[in-house]
Amino acid sequence: MTEIVIAAYRRSPFHFAHKGALVKLRPDEMAAQVVRALLDDTGVDPATIEDVVVGCAFPEGEQGLNVAKLIAFLAKLPESVAGATVNRFCGSSMQSVHQAAGAIMMGAGEAFLCAGVESMSRVPMMGFNPLPHPGLAESFPQAYMGMGETAENVARRHQVTRADQEAFAAESHRRAAAAQAEGRLAGEIAPVTVGGATVDGDGCIRPDTTAEGLAGLKPAFRADGTVTAGTSSPLTDGAAALLVCTMDYARAHGLSPLAKVKSVAVAGCAPEVMGMGPVDASRKALARAGITAKELDLVELNEAFASQAIACIRELGLDGAKVNLDGGAIALGHPLGATGARIVGKAAALLQREGGRYALASQCIGGGQGIATVLEAV
Amino acid sequence: MASGNGVNPPDAGGATTGAPLVEPELRAVGAPVPKASPPGGAIRKVAVIGAGVMGAGIAAHCANAGVPTVLLDIVPGGAARALAAMAKQDPAPFMHAGAARLVTPGDLATGLPLLADCDWIVEAIVERPDAKRALYAQLDAVRKPGSVVSSNTSTIPLAALLEGASDAFAADFCITHFFNPPRYMRLLELVTGPATRADAAAAVTAFCDRALGKTVIPCKDRPGFIANRIGGMWMQSAINQAQDLRLTIEEADAVMGRPLGIPKTGVFGLLDLVGIDLMPHVAASMKASLPADDAYVLGMRDNPLVARLIAEGRTGRKGGKGGFYTRAKSDTGESLKRAVDLWTGEDRPSETPQLESLSTRDIRALAQHPDRGGRYARAVLLDTLAYAAALVPEVADDIASVDAAMRLGYNWKWGPFELLDRIGPAWFVDALRAEGRAVPPVLETVGDGRFYRVEAGRLQAMGRDGTHRDLPRPEGVLLLADVKRAGQLLAKNGSAALWDIGDGVACLEFTSKMNSMDPDILSMIGKAVSMGKKGAFRALVIHNEGENFSVGANIGLALFAANIAAWGEVESMVEQGQKALRSMRHAPFPVVGAPSGMALGGGCEVLLHCDAVQAHAESYIGLVEVGVGLIPGWGGCMAMLRRWAEAPKLPRGPMPPVAKAFEMISTARVAKSAFEAKEMLLLRPTDGITMNRDRLLAEAKARALAMVEGYAPPEPKAIRLPGPSGKAALALAVQQQVLLGRATPHDVVVCDHLAATLSGGARDHTEETTEDELLRLERQSFMALLRTDGTLARVEHMLATGRPLRN
Repeated sequence: MTEIVIAAYRRSPFHFAHKGALVKLRPDEMAAQVVRALLDDTGVDPATIEDVVVGCAFPEGEQGLNVAKLIAFLAKLPESVAGATVNRFCGSSMQSVHQAAGAIMMGAGEAFLCAGVESMSRVPMMGFNPLPHPGLAESFPQAYMGMGETAENVARRHQVTRADQEAFAAESHRRAAAAQAEGRLAGEIAPVTVGGATVDGDGCIRPDTTAEGLAGLKPAFRADGTVTAGTSSPLTDGAAALLVCTMDYARAHGLSPLAKVKSVAVAGCAPEVMGMGPVDASRKALARAGITAKELDLVELNEAFASQAIACIRELGLDGAKVNLDGGAIALGHPLGATGARIVGKAAALLQREGGRYALASQCIGGGQGIATVLEAV
Repeated sequence: MASGNGVNPPDAGGATTGAPLVEPELRAVGAPVPKASPPGGAIRKVAVIGAGVMGAGIAAHCANAGVPTVLLDIVPGGAARALAAMAKQDPAPFMHAGAARLVTPGDLATGLPLLADCDWIVEAIVERPDAKRALYAQLDAVRKPGSVVSSNTSTIPLAALLEGASDAFAADFCITHFFNPPRYMRLLELVTGPATRADAAAAVTAFCDRALGKTVIPCKDRPGFIANRIGGMWMQSAINQAQDLRLTIEEADAVMGRPLGIPKTGVFGLLDLVGIDLMPHVAASMKASLPADDAYVLGMRDNPLVARLIAEGRTGRKGGKGGFYTRAKSDTGESLKRAVDLWTGEDRPSETPQLESLSTRDIRALAQHPDRGGRYARAVLLDTLAYAAALVPEVADDIASVDAAMRLGYNWKWGPFELLDRIGPAWFVDALRAEGRAVPPVLETVGDGRFYRVEAGRLQAMGRDGTHRDLPRPEGVLLLADVKRAGQLLAKNGSAALWDIGDGVACLEFTSKMNSMDPDILSMIGKAVSMGKKGAFRALVIHNEGENFSVGANIGLALFAANIAAWGEVESMVEQGQKALRSMRHAPFPVVGAPSGMALGGGCEVLLHCDAVQAHAESYIGLVEVGVGLIPGWGGCMAMLRRWAEAPKLPRGPMPPVAKAFEMISTARVAKSAFEAKEMLLLRPTDGITMNRDRLLAEAKARALAMVEGYAPPEPKAIRLPGPSGKAALALAVQQQVLLGRATPHDVVVCDHLAATLSGGARDHTEETTEDELLRLERQSFMALLRTDGTLARVEHMLATGRPLRN
C-alpha cells in the first residue's frame, strides 16, 4: 500500500483580525508567502507538484475566484501546477490533506501542496453577501445558527461550567506562552512581510491570562450564557501549508517526513451542537486506523470554543495532558481556512518531537460536522 | 409682556441665536469685522500650551476645524493623557474620530520646537502672571515672526501679561477668552491692547469666527471682561439674596432659571455644574483687580456654607460627592435628590417649590409679586441689571455686545438689556429710585423708550447717545430673523413659512412646536414646489433658527389617528409626506437643506431628499423611528439604500448596502456632528459644513445659487435588492442580538418589518426594485407597525416621558 506522509509544515504567524499585524496583508499574498517558504525549506522542484489544494471558509473577495491557482502564481510555481480551492468551513485545509491523500491513493499524483488561509480582517465571517435560504432559515434555523450559540448549547447539554471553560482557556494560553517563550513555535512559523515589515511571531497569545481574569468577562453570545470572548477562539488572520506526498517521493527528494497519514474521516452531527463534530469523526478515523483513543500518544483538537473542546475530550475519553501540547486555538487563534493544515502539521511535528506512535488531529465544523485525521510515526 | 407701550424687544433668545453684534466704533479698537477671507484666514497651524480642561478643549476644537494642532503641557505626558481622556468624554470635545489625529501632544520641556511653524499659539496655563510671562519669553524665542500669541486668561489684564515683553511680542499678542466647553460654547471674548497689530487681531477674529464658529465679541481690558463680570455679579447676588430672603435652593433655582430665560440649573445648580470651588478663586481675583467701591466687590461676603462644602470636598457634580444638590439611594435603591438648606446647612430631601410667583409668565409681574419668589427675582434683577447697565462703556461700548456675551457665554435667552426691555426700562428705573439706588447713565438715556427697536424692518440698538442705529451684520452673515423683520413673506401656514431671502432664493422655515413635521409643513413643501415651478424663485433653502432643525414627525398626530382607528388618514399622511418630499427632490430647481441642532426622523428625511445640504457642524442627524416602534416612512429607507448602493468603497453585491442601512436605522443611531453624519452617509461627501451658525444661511444660499445654472433634477432610479434571502440574513443578525439581551421582543417585530422593507420585500434579487415599489414597502411596514400594541405603547411612552420605551 502506498504510504502517504506529511513531509513538511509551515504556517504564518497568527494575529488578531482587525487589530493585529496582518490586517493589511491580502490573504492570497499571505498564503503565497507561506507556500514559498515551505518550498524553499524542502528544496523540491516545484514542477514535481501535482496540485495546490487550498482550504478557505469564505472564498470570496481577496480570497475568492480560485484562490489556490492565484496563490500558485504568486508563489512563482510553474504554470504546470494546478490549483483547487476547497471549502469545508473550519475543516477546509484538513480536507485539502484528505483530498490529496485520496488522490495519491488513486495514483492521481505524488506530491501536493495542501494549504489553508483566512483573513478574517479582510473577508468577514458570513461573507460580504450572506443570503440564507429563507425557507430553510424558517423551517430549520439551526442550519444557520451562529457559532457562539452552538457553543452555549454544548456547554448546557454537556454541563461544561464557566469555571471549567476558563481553566481550560487559561491552560491553553499558559501552554502556548511557554511554547513561544521556549522557542518551540518558531520552527513552524514562516515569517511574512507586510508593507515592507517582517512579522515573525504570533500575536494572539496572552501570557498573563488567568482563570480569575477571564471570570470578569461578560458573556459574548447570550446574556445568560457562560461563553465569553476569553473562552472562544479569536477572529484571526493566518495561513498554513503542508507538503503531502508519498513516502517514495519524500525519500527521493531527501526529505525526512514528519508523520504518515494513517486514516481520515468526516461525520455529520446536529448543527446546533456542531462543536461535538469531532466525536463521531474521530471515532470513525480511529476505527479505520484500527486503534482506540487510549492508544493515542498525542492529540491536536481544535479549540473553537473551550466548551466544545472540553466536551469532546470527555466524550472521546482523551487524556487532557496529551491534547494541544503547545496550546490551542483559544490562545493561538483560529483563521478558519488555515486551522486544519495547522493542526495536522502540528500533530505530525509533535509526533516527531515528542516520540510516540499515533496522533489524532480533529476539528468541529460550523453547520454540523466534524473531521479527523490519524497520523502514525514514520 | 405686561407692558403695552413700546416695541417688542428683539427676538434674540431661542429662535434667534446671537449674531456677532459689532458696533462700528469698536472696529477702531482693533477687531475689524472679518472680510470674506478663506476659512481660517492666515492661520493654518495652531499650538495650545496647557492641556487642562480649557487648553485641551481648545486644541480639540481647532482640530475639529481641520487644522493641525500642537498641544503641549508642562507635566510630562500630560498632553497625551488629556488627549486620551477626551476620546472618552461626553459631551465629546472632538466632532469625529479623525479630528483627534490632527492633535500632536507633547511636553513643554521638549516640544517647543514644534511651535516654529504655528501661526497661532494659545496659552492656557495656570492663572499666574509670572508663570505666563515666563512662558511668553520661551515662546518668543521659538515662534515664527508674525505668529499670533494669545492668552485664554479669564482674569488677568492684558497690560499685566505684557510687562517686560518685547515690542514685537506685544504687537502679536491679544487675549482670546473661550468658554467651557470650547467646542459647544459660542462666545469668544477678544481683548486687544494698544500695541496689538490690527491684522493680528483680524486673523484671530477671522479664524475664531469662520473656522471655530465662534461669535467674537471685542471687550475692553477689564477684569472678567463682559460675561464673567456680569455673570459673577449675578451669581453672587443670587446666592446672597436667596440667603437673605430665606429661599430654599430649589425655590431660588426655579425663580432664577426658566422664568428669566436662564438655563433651568438656575444659580445653585449652575454652581454644582461648574464647581463650587471656583467661586472663591473668582471672587479673590475680582476683588484684587476691581476698585473697592465696585458693586461686585461691595457685595462680597464670607459664606460659611460654601466654605464648608468645599472643605468637605462637595464641590459639585465633578467630584462625585455632589454640592448644593446631592443624590442618595433610598432603602429601595431608588435614587433620591437631596438639597442643602441655606440656613441650617443640613441636607434634606429635595422639595418641589410651591411659589405663587412661579405661575406668572411675565418678568415684570414676577418682579412685582409680593411673595418671596417675587421679592427674590426683583432683588437679583435690580442688582444684576443695574450693574450691567453701569458697565457700558466700561467693558464694552455697546449694549448689543453685552447682551450677546451673556446669551452665548451663559446661555441666557435674553441679555441684560433685552431683559430690561422686557421688564420696561422706565419701570426698572423707578424701582431703582424707590430703593435709593443710583441709576446708570444708559438707563437715564433710554428713558421711556427701549434699548432695541425695529425700524423699517431692521433691528436697531440704542447707542450711548440715545439714538438707535442698525445692528451691523458681518459680511457673510445672513439671519433669517433679519429677513423676517423685513417681512419678505411669500407664504405661510400654521407650521411653516416661505421667505424671500434675496437673489431669487426662497427659504422654507418650520415654525411648529419643536419644528416637528406635520401636514402643514408637508403642504408648505408642496406649495413651495409649485411656486418654484411657476418661477417664484430660482432655488430653495430649508432652514430655521430654532434650537433644532426638526425633532421629527409629530407622532402625537399619528397616535391620535391610531386611537380612533383612522388608518386611512394615517396612511394618506404617510403618502402625503412621500409625495411632498419626492416632488421636492424632483422639482426643477435646486433645494439645499441647512440644518443646525437635531434633525431626526422626518426632519432627517427632509434633508435626505435635498439636492445638497449645507450643515452646521453642530448638527445631530439620524433616523430614529425605531425608538417609537416605526420605520422611516417618507423615503428615508429608500434614500439610505440609494446612498449606500452608490458608496464606492462598499463590497459589491445586493447585501452590503442593505446591511449598512439596516445597522444604522435599526439602532436609531444619531450622528453626533455633521462630520459623523458624513461618515454615516446621512450627508453626502459633497455636502458642506459650516462651523459658524450665523453663517449657515448665507452659505446654504450661496450653495443653492451655485447649483442653479444648468440644474437638472435627479432621475428616479431602480435598485437591486436581495429580497427574502437578504431578509433572512438580517433576521439571523437580530436573533444574535436577542440572545445577548440587546433586542427586546418588540425590537424583533420592528426589525422584521425594517428588514422586509430594506431587502426589497418579495422581489428576487435578479430584478430591480423601483422607487415606487420601495415607497410602497415603507408605507406598508409603517402601517403594519402602527397597528401593533408594542408600537402604540412606544409612541405613548415617548409622548409622556420623552424617552424611548424598551418593550
